[in-house]
Amino acid sequence: MTDHLDDTLQRVVDALRPLPDVDDAAKARVLVAVAAERHRDREALPKRVTSSPRRWVVRAVGLAAAAVVAAVLLRAPSTSKEPTPDVAAASPSASAPNARLATADADKGIALQSVQLVLRAPAASQVRVVGDFNAWDGNRSSMSRDPESGLWTATLALRPGRHVYAFIVDDSIWMRDPRAPAAADADFGRPGSVLLVGRP
Amino acid sequence: MGPRPADDAMSEPHRLRLVTSRDSATAAAVGDPSAAVARGALVEAARRGDVRAFAELVDTYYARCLRFALHMLSSRDDAEEAVQDTFVRVYRALPTYEERESFEPWLFRILANRCRSAGARARRHAELVEYGDVPERPVASGHDTAIAWREEIKLALAALPGDQREAFLMRHVEDLSYEDMSNATGAGVSALKMRVKRACDALRLRLAEVDRD
Repeated sequence: MTDHLDDTLQRVVDALRPLPDVDDAAKARVLVAVAAERHRDREALPKRVTSSPRRWVVRAVGLAAAAVVAAVLLRAPSTSKEPTPDVAAASPSASAPNARLATADADKGIALQSVQLVLRAPAASQVRVVGDFNAWDGNRSSMSRDPESGLWTATLALRPGRHVYAFIVDDSIWMRDPRAPAAADADFGRPGSVLLVGRP
Repeated sequence: MGPRPADDAMSEPHRLRLVTSRDSATAAAVGDPSAAVARGALVEAARRGDVRAFAELVDTYYARCLRFALHMLSSRDDAEEAVQDTFVRVYRALPTYEERESFEPWLFRILANRCRSAGARARRHAELVEYGDVPERPVASGHDTAIAWREEIKLALAALPGDQREAFLMRHVEDLSYEDMSNATGAGVSALKMRVKRACDALRLRLAEVDRD
Protein backbone atom coordinates (compact mmCIF):
# COMPACT_ATOMS: atom_id res chain seq x y z
CA MET A 1 0.00 0.00 0.00
CA THR A 2 1.58 3.27 -1.05
CA ASP A 3 0.71 6.91 -1.38
CA HIS A 4 2.35 7.16 -4.77
CA LEU A 5 0.05 8.91 -7.22
CA ASP A 6 0.21 8.03 -10.88
CA ASP A 7 -0.49 10.61 -13.57
CA THR A 8 -4.25 10.09 -13.53
CA LEU A 9 -4.56 10.48 -9.78
CA GLN A 10 -2.17 13.41 -9.75
CA ARG A 11 -4.45 15.14 -12.25
CA VAL A 12 -7.38 14.40 -9.99
CA VAL A 13 -5.62 15.90 -6.99
CA ASP A 14 -4.52 18.91 -9.00
CA ALA A 15 -8.12 19.52 -10.00
CA LEU A 16 -9.42 19.18 -6.44
CA ARG A 17 -6.82 21.27 -4.61
CA PRO A 18 -7.56 24.86 -5.65
CA LEU A 19 -9.38 26.66 -2.86
CA PRO A 20 -12.92 27.72 -3.78
CA ASP A 21 -14.09 31.27 -4.04
CA VAL A 22 -15.45 32.35 -0.72
CA ASP A 23 -18.75 34.17 -0.55
CA ASP A 24 -18.23 37.03 1.89
CA ALA A 25 -21.87 36.88 2.92
CA ALA A 26 -21.52 33.21 3.83
CA LYS A 27 -18.52 33.99 5.98
CA ALA A 28 -20.44 36.85 7.53
CA ARG A 29 -23.21 34.43 8.45
CA VAL A 30 -20.65 32.26 10.23
CA LEU A 31 -19.54 35.14 12.41
CA VAL A 32 -23.11 36.22 13.07
CA ALA A 33 -24.05 32.66 14.04
CA VAL A 34 -21.07 32.41 16.37
CA ALA A 35 -21.84 35.83 17.85
CA ALA A 36 -25.38 34.59 18.50
CA GLU A 37 -23.93 31.57 20.26
CA ARG A 38 -21.80 33.87 22.37
CA HIS A 39 -24.83 35.94 23.16
CA ARG A 40 -26.71 32.87 24.34
CA ASP A 41 -23.78 32.04 26.61
CA ARG A 42 -23.96 35.50 28.12
CA GLU A 43 -27.70 35.22 28.58
CA ALA A 44 -27.13 32.11 30.62
CA LEU A 45 -24.93 34.06 33.03
CA PRO A 46 -26.31 36.19 35.87
CA LYS A 47 -27.22 39.65 34.64
CA ARG A 48 -24.84 42.47 35.47
CA VAL A 49 -26.19 45.92 36.11
CA THR A 50 -24.61 48.54 33.89
CA SER A 51 -24.62 52.25 34.32
CA SER A 52 -25.88 54.50 31.58
CA PRO A 53 -24.29 57.80 30.64
CA ARG A 54 -27.02 60.31 30.88
CA ARG A 55 -26.60 61.84 27.47
CA TRP A 56 -27.46 58.55 25.83
CA VAL A 57 -30.57 57.97 27.84
CA VAL A 58 -33.67 59.59 26.45
CA ARG A 59 -36.60 59.36 28.77
CA ALA A 60 -39.94 58.46 27.36
CA VAL A 61 -42.29 61.33 26.91
CA GLY A 62 -45.22 59.52 25.37
CA LEU A 63 -45.87 57.58 22.26
CA ALA A 64 -47.62 60.36 20.39
CA ALA A 65 -44.85 62.88 20.92
CA ALA A 66 -42.22 60.35 19.95
CA ALA A 67 -44.03 59.43 16.79
CA VAL A 68 -43.87 63.06 15.78
CA VAL A 69 -40.13 63.07 16.43
CA ALA A 70 -39.70 59.97 14.32
CA ALA A 71 -41.70 61.45 11.49
CA VAL A 72 -39.57 64.57 11.56
CA LEU A 73 -36.37 62.56 11.51
CA LEU A 74 -37.49 60.45 8.61
CA ARG A 75 -38.22 63.54 6.62
CA ALA A 76 -34.92 65.22 7.36
CA PRO A 77 -32.35 63.52 5.15
CA SER A 78 -29.87 66.35 5.26
CA THR A 79 -28.23 67.89 8.26
CA SER A 80 -25.09 69.95 8.56
CA LYS A 81 -23.23 66.92 9.89
CA GLU A 82 -23.94 64.76 6.89
CA PRO A 83 -21.38 64.08 4.20
CA THR A 84 -21.42 65.77 0.86
CA PRO A 85 -23.95 64.43 -1.63
CA ASP A 86 -21.20 62.85 -3.71
CA VAL A 87 -19.92 60.76 -0.87
CA ALA A 88 -23.37 59.97 0.42
CA ALA A 89 -24.46 58.72 -2.96
CA ALA A 90 -21.74 56.12 -2.99
CA SER A 91 -21.60 54.93 0.56
CA PRO A 92 -23.56 54.42 3.74
CA SER A 93 -22.97 57.18 6.24
CA ALA A 94 -24.21 58.82 9.36
CA SER A 95 -27.79 59.92 9.43
CA ALA A 96 -30.03 61.76 11.78
CA PRO A 97 -29.61 60.77 15.42
CA ASN A 98 -31.52 57.72 16.42
CA ALA A 99 -34.74 58.49 18.15
CA ARG A 100 -36.01 56.55 21.10
CA LEU A 101 -39.70 56.24 21.44
CA ALA A 102 -41.59 55.19 24.49
CA THR A 103 -44.06 52.41 24.73
CA ALA A 104 -45.18 49.93 27.31
CA ASP A 105 -45.30 46.20 27.01
CA ALA A 106 -46.99 43.68 29.19
CA ASP A 107 -44.32 41.10 28.43
CA LYS A 108 -43.26 39.75 31.78
CA GLY A 109 -44.14 43.04 33.37
CA ILE A 110 -41.14 44.79 31.85
CA ALA A 111 -41.77 48.10 30.18
CA LEU A 112 -40.11 48.05 26.80
CA GLN A 113 -38.91 51.13 25.04
CA SER A 114 -39.52 51.61 21.36
CA VAL A 115 -36.19 52.54 19.81
CA GLN A 116 -35.70 53.68 16.27
CA LEU A 117 -32.37 53.03 14.60
CA VAL A 118 -31.52 55.04 11.53
CA LEU A 119 -28.70 54.68 9.02
CA ARG A 120 -28.12 56.79 5.96
CA ALA A 121 -27.07 54.43 3.17
CA PRO A 122 -28.61 55.56 -0.11
CA ALA A 123 -26.51 53.19 -2.24
CA ALA A 124 -27.31 50.10 -0.21
CA SER A 125 -29.80 47.53 -1.42
CA GLN A 126 -30.26 45.92 1.98
CA VAL A 127 -29.46 46.89 5.55
CA ARG A 128 -30.02 44.78 8.61
CA VAL A 129 -29.42 45.46 12.25
CA VAL A 130 -27.90 42.84 14.49
CA GLY A 131 -27.37 43.05 18.20
CA ASP A 132 -27.71 41.34 21.51
CA PHE A 133 -31.44 42.09 21.37
CA ASN A 134 -32.00 39.79 18.37
CA ALA A 135 -29.30 37.23 19.19
CA TRP A 136 -27.18 38.75 16.39
CA ASP A 137 -29.56 37.24 13.89
CA GLY A 138 -29.79 39.54 10.90
CA ASN A 139 -32.79 37.71 9.51
CA ARG A 140 -34.87 39.04 12.34
CA SER A 141 -34.34 42.76 11.81
CA SER A 142 -34.32 43.99 8.27
CA MET A 143 -34.44 47.74 7.97
CA SER A 144 -36.81 49.69 5.77
CA ARG A 145 -35.58 52.19 3.22
CA ASP A 146 -37.07 55.55 2.54
CA PRO A 147 -36.46 55.93 -1.22
CA GLU A 148 -36.33 59.71 -1.13
CA SER A 149 -33.93 60.24 1.73
CA GLY A 150 -31.89 57.03 1.50
CA LEU A 151 -32.47 56.53 5.22
CA TRP A 152 -32.84 53.01 6.52
CA THR A 153 -34.84 52.63 9.69
CA ALA A 154 -35.84 49.91 12.09
CA THR A 155 -38.03 50.30 15.13
CA LEU A 156 -37.29 47.89 17.93
CA ALA A 157 -38.91 47.27 21.30
CA LEU A 158 -36.03 46.96 23.75
CA ARG A 159 -35.67 46.39 27.42
CA PRO A 160 -34.09 49.16 29.44
CA GLY A 161 -30.36 48.79 29.78
CA ARG A 162 -27.24 48.60 27.65
CA HIS A 163 -27.35 47.04 24.21
CA VAL A 164 -24.61 46.45 21.63
CA TYR A 165 -25.50 46.43 17.97
CA ALA A 166 -24.19 46.92 14.43
CA PHE A 167 -25.45 47.20 10.89
CA ILE A 168 -24.85 44.74 8.05
CA VAL A 169 -25.00 46.47 4.70
CA ASP A 170 -25.65 44.38 1.59
CA ASP A 171 -24.68 41.23 3.44
CA SER A 172 -21.03 42.14 3.15
CA ILE A 173 -20.24 45.23 5.17
CA TRP A 174 -20.36 45.21 8.92
CA MET A 175 -20.41 48.67 10.39
CA ARG A 176 -21.21 50.31 13.67
CA ASP A 177 -23.70 53.12 14.00
CA PRO A 178 -21.59 56.20 13.27
CA ARG A 179 -23.82 58.30 15.52
CA ALA A 180 -23.55 56.16 18.64
CA PRO A 181 -20.63 55.41 20.98
CA ALA A 182 -18.37 52.56 19.90
CA ALA A 183 -18.60 49.41 21.97
CA ALA A 184 -15.38 48.45 23.67
CA ASP A 185 -16.35 44.79 23.62
CA ALA A 186 -16.85 44.44 19.88
CA ASP A 187 -17.82 40.91 19.02
CA PHE A 188 -15.25 38.97 17.01
CA GLY A 189 -13.28 42.05 16.18
CA ARG A 190 -16.24 43.58 14.42
CA PRO A 191 -17.16 47.10 15.44
CA GLY A 192 -20.32 47.63 17.40
CA SER A 193 -22.16 50.53 18.94
CA VAL A 194 -23.65 50.99 22.35
CA LEU A 195 -27.26 51.89 22.88
CA LEU A 196 -28.49 52.77 26.34
CA VAL A 197 -32.19 52.52 26.84
CA GLY A 198 -33.61 54.25 29.87
CA ARG A 199 -36.67 53.35 31.89
CA PRO A 200 -39.84 55.25 31.10
CA MET B 1 -28.94 52.91 -7.56
CA GLY B 2 -25.61 52.88 -9.39
CA PRO B 3 -22.70 50.54 -8.95
CA ARG B 4 -20.72 51.03 -5.81
CA PRO B 5 -17.04 51.81 -5.90
CA ALA B 6 -14.79 49.07 -4.59
CA ASP B 7 -13.49 51.13 -1.73
CA ASP B 8 -16.45 53.01 -0.38
CA ALA B 9 -15.42 55.83 1.89
CA MET B 10 -17.80 55.04 4.70
CA SER B 11 -17.55 56.17 8.23
CA GLU B 12 -15.77 53.31 9.93
CA PRO B 13 -16.99 50.50 7.72
CA HIS B 14 -15.70 47.03 8.40
CA ARG B 15 -15.70 44.71 5.46
CA LEU B 16 -16.48 41.17 6.37
CA ARG B 17 -14.14 39.88 3.72
CA LEU B 18 -10.92 38.98 5.44
CA VAL B 19 -9.62 36.12 3.37
CA THR B 20 -10.67 34.37 0.22
CA SER B 21 -9.27 31.64 -1.94
CA ARG B 22 -7.39 34.34 -3.75
CA ASP B 23 -5.49 35.22 -0.61
CA SER B 24 -2.68 32.87 -1.43
CA ALA B 25 -0.48 34.11 1.38
CA THR B 26 -2.93 32.98 4.01
CA ALA B 27 -3.70 29.79 2.16
CA ALA B 28 -0.02 29.02 1.96
CA ALA B 29 0.45 29.80 5.60
CA VAL B 30 -2.02 27.08 6.48
CA GLY B 31 0.21 24.50 4.92
CA ASP B 32 3.44 26.07 6.13
CA PRO B 33 4.96 24.22 9.10
CA SER B 34 6.63 27.44 10.26
CA ALA B 35 3.16 28.93 10.76
CA ALA B 36 2.14 26.11 13.08
CA VAL B 37 3.37 27.93 16.18
CA ALA B 38 1.43 31.05 15.29
CA ARG B 39 -1.69 29.00 14.61
CA GLY B 40 -1.24 27.25 17.93
CA ALA B 41 -1.10 30.60 19.70
CA LEU B 42 -4.23 31.66 17.83
CA VAL B 43 -6.09 28.54 18.90
CA GLU B 44 -4.98 28.97 22.49
CA ALA B 45 -6.09 32.62 22.50
CA ALA B 46 -9.46 31.63 21.06
CA ARG B 47 -9.77 28.89 23.66
CA ARG B 48 -9.26 31.47 26.39
CA GLY B 49 -12.14 33.46 24.95
CA ASP B 50 -10.37 35.93 22.67
CA VAL B 51 -13.07 36.59 20.08
CA ARG B 52 -10.72 38.30 17.66
CA ALA B 53 -8.52 35.22 17.66
CA PHE B 54 -11.56 33.11 16.91
CA ALA B 55 -12.48 35.37 14.00
CA GLU B 56 -8.92 34.92 12.69
CA LEU B 57 -9.32 31.17 12.95
CA VAL B 58 -12.45 31.43 10.83
CA ASP B 59 -10.57 33.54 8.30
CA THR B 60 -7.68 31.11 8.22
CA TYR B 61 -9.63 27.90 7.84
CA TYR B 62 -12.86 28.90 6.12
CA ALA B 63 -11.69 28.32 2.54
CA ARG B 64 -10.13 24.95 3.37
CA CYS B 65 -13.22 23.81 5.21
CA LEU B 66 -15.40 24.94 2.33
CA ARG B 67 -13.21 23.07 -0.17
CA PHE B 68 -13.58 19.86 1.81
CA ALA B 69 -17.32 20.33 2.26
CA LEU B 70 -17.83 21.11 -1.43
CA HIS B 71 -16.09 17.88 -2.39
CA MET B 72 -18.08 15.91 0.16
CA LEU B 73 -21.44 17.46 -0.67
CA SER B 74 -22.74 18.27 -4.09
CA SER B 75 -24.53 21.47 -3.13
CA ARG B 76 -22.77 24.72 -2.33
CA ASP B 77 -25.58 25.74 -0.01
CA ASP B 78 -25.20 22.50 1.91
CA ALA B 79 -21.44 22.94 2.02
CA GLU B 80 -21.64 26.50 3.36
CA GLU B 81 -24.18 25.42 5.94
CA ALA B 82 -21.96 22.56 7.04
CA VAL B 83 -19.00 24.89 7.40
CA GLN B 84 -21.05 27.40 9.37
CA ASP B 85 -22.31 24.64 11.62
CA THR B 86 -18.76 23.45 12.07
CA PHE B 87 -17.47 26.79 13.31
CA VAL B 88 -20.40 27.21 15.69
CA ARG B 89 -19.66 23.78 17.13
CA VAL B 90 -15.95 24.55 17.29
CA TYR B 91 -16.77 27.70 19.24
CA ARG B 92 -18.97 25.75 21.63
CA ALA B 93 -16.39 23.03 22.12
CA LEU B 94 -13.27 25.20 22.34
CA PRO B 95 -13.31 25.36 26.15
CA THR B 96 -12.95 21.58 26.21
CA TYR B 97 -10.31 21.49 23.51
CA GLU B 98 -6.97 20.30 24.85
CA GLU B 99 -3.67 21.54 23.53
CA ARG B 100 -2.17 18.11 23.24
CA GLU B 101 -4.62 17.45 20.45
CA SER B 102 -3.79 18.96 17.07
CA PHE B 103 -6.30 21.58 16.03
CA GLU B 104 -6.66 20.62 12.38
CA PRO B 105 -7.68 16.99 12.95
CA TRP B 106 -10.06 18.22 15.62
CA LEU B 107 -11.53 20.77 13.23
CA PHE B 108 -11.82 18.20 10.44
CA ARG B 109 -13.46 15.72 12.77
CA ILE B 110 -16.26 18.19 13.42
CA LEU B 111 -16.42 19.20 9.77
CA ALA B 112 -16.54 15.59 8.56
CA ASN B 113 -19.36 14.87 11.01
CA ARG B 114 -21.32 17.85 9.73
CA CYS B 115 -20.74 16.75 6.14
CA ARG B 116 -21.93 13.23 6.95
CA SER B 117 -25.10 14.61 8.52
CA ALA B 118 -25.70 16.96 5.60
CA GLY B 119 -24.99 14.15 3.14
CA ALA B 120 -27.54 11.94 4.83
CA ARG B 121 -30.13 14.70 4.60
CA ALA B 122 -29.31 15.24 0.93
CA ARG B 123 -29.66 11.53 0.18
CA ARG B 124 -33.08 11.45 1.83
CA HIS B 125 -34.06 14.42 -0.28
CA ALA B 126 -32.65 12.85 -3.46
CA GLU B 127 -34.93 9.86 -2.97
CA LEU B 128 -37.80 12.21 -3.59
CA VAL B 129 -36.45 13.50 -6.90
CA GLU B 130 -38.28 12.11 -9.86
CA TYR B 131 -36.34 10.47 -12.64
CA GLY B 132 -37.16 13.28 -15.03
CA ASP B 133 -35.41 15.75 -12.74
CA VAL B 134 -32.09 13.95 -12.71
CA PRO B 135 -29.53 15.99 -14.64
CA GLU B 136 -28.02 14.30 -17.63
CA ARG B 137 -24.38 13.38 -17.65
CA PRO B 138 -22.42 16.14 -19.35
CA VAL B 139 -20.94 15.36 -22.74
CA ALA B 140 -17.39 16.48 -23.44
CA SER B 141 -16.50 18.08 -26.69
CA GLY B 142 -13.65 20.09 -28.17
CA HIS B 143 -12.36 23.01 -26.15
CA ASP B 144 -14.31 22.25 -22.98
CA THR B 145 -12.28 19.14 -22.25
CA ALA B 146 -10.90 20.65 -19.06
CA ILE B 147 -14.38 21.43 -17.80
CA ALA B 148 -15.54 17.96 -18.74
CA TRP B 149 -12.56 16.48 -16.89
CA ARG B 150 -13.51 18.36 -13.72
CA GLU B 151 -17.08 17.17 -14.13
CA GLU B 152 -15.90 13.59 -14.51
CA ILE B 153 -13.80 13.91 -11.38
CA LYS B 154 -16.80 15.30 -9.54
CA LEU B 155 -18.95 12.39 -10.66
CA ALA B 156 -16.24 9.84 -9.89
CA LEU B 157 -15.75 11.33 -6.44
CA ALA B 158 -19.48 11.36 -5.79
CA ALA B 159 -19.68 7.70 -6.77
CA LEU B 160 -17.22 6.70 -4.03
CA PRO B 161 -18.57 5.44 -0.72
CA GLY B 162 -18.59 8.29 1.77
CA ASP B 163 -15.82 6.91 3.98
CA GLN B 164 -13.51 6.41 1.00
CA ARG B 165 -14.21 9.85 -0.39
CA GLU B 166 -13.57 11.38 3.01
CA ALA B 167 -10.29 9.48 3.47
CA PHE B 168 -9.06 10.32 -0.03
CA LEU B 169 -9.78 14.02 0.41
CA MET B 170 -8.20 14.21 3.85
CA ARG B 171 -5.06 12.44 2.69
CA HIS B 172 -4.46 13.82 -0.77
CA VAL B 173 -6.25 17.16 -0.85
CA GLU B 174 -6.00 18.32 2.76
CA ASP B 175 -2.59 16.69 3.31
CA LEU B 176 -3.45 15.23 6.69
CA SER B 177 -1.19 12.48 7.98
CA TYR B 178 -2.74 9.09 8.63
CA GLU B 179 -2.35 9.71 12.36
CA ASP B 180 -4.25 12.98 12.06
CA MET B 181 -6.86 11.28 9.91
CA SER B 182 -7.23 8.65 12.58
CA ASN B 183 -7.83 11.38 15.16
CA ALA B 184 -10.30 13.07 12.86
CA THR B 185 -12.31 10.02 11.91
CA GLY B 186 -11.86 7.63 14.80
CA ALA B 187 -10.83 4.90 12.35
CA GLY B 188 -7.55 3.03 12.60
CA VAL B 189 -4.57 3.87 10.40
CA SER B 190 -4.72 0.53 8.57
CA ALA B 191 -8.40 0.95 7.80
CA LEU B 192 -7.77 4.46 6.54
CA LYS B 193 -4.95 3.34 4.27
CA MET B 194 -7.28 0.71 2.84
CA ARG B 195 -10.00 3.30 2.24
CA VAL B 196 -7.56 5.59 0.46
CA LYS B 197 -6.26 2.72 -1.66
CA ARG B 198 -9.75 1.66 -2.66
CA ALA B 199 -10.68 5.23 -3.47
CA CYS B 200 -7.56 5.57 -5.63
CA ASP B 201 -8.30 2.32 -7.42
CA ALA B 202 -11.89 3.31 -8.13
CA LEU B 203 -10.95 6.78 -9.33
CA ARG B 204 -8.16 5.45 -11.50
CA LEU B 205 -10.43 2.86 -13.09
CA ARG B 206 -13.27 5.25 -13.81
CA LEU B 207 -11.14 8.11 -15.04
CA ALA B 208 -8.95 5.89 -17.19
CA GLU B 209 -12.12 5.01 -19.08
CA VAL B 210 -12.78 8.70 -19.60
CA ASP B 211 -9.25 9.17 -20.93
CA ARG B 212 -9.80 6.40 -23.45
CA ASP B 213 -13.10 7.88 -24.70
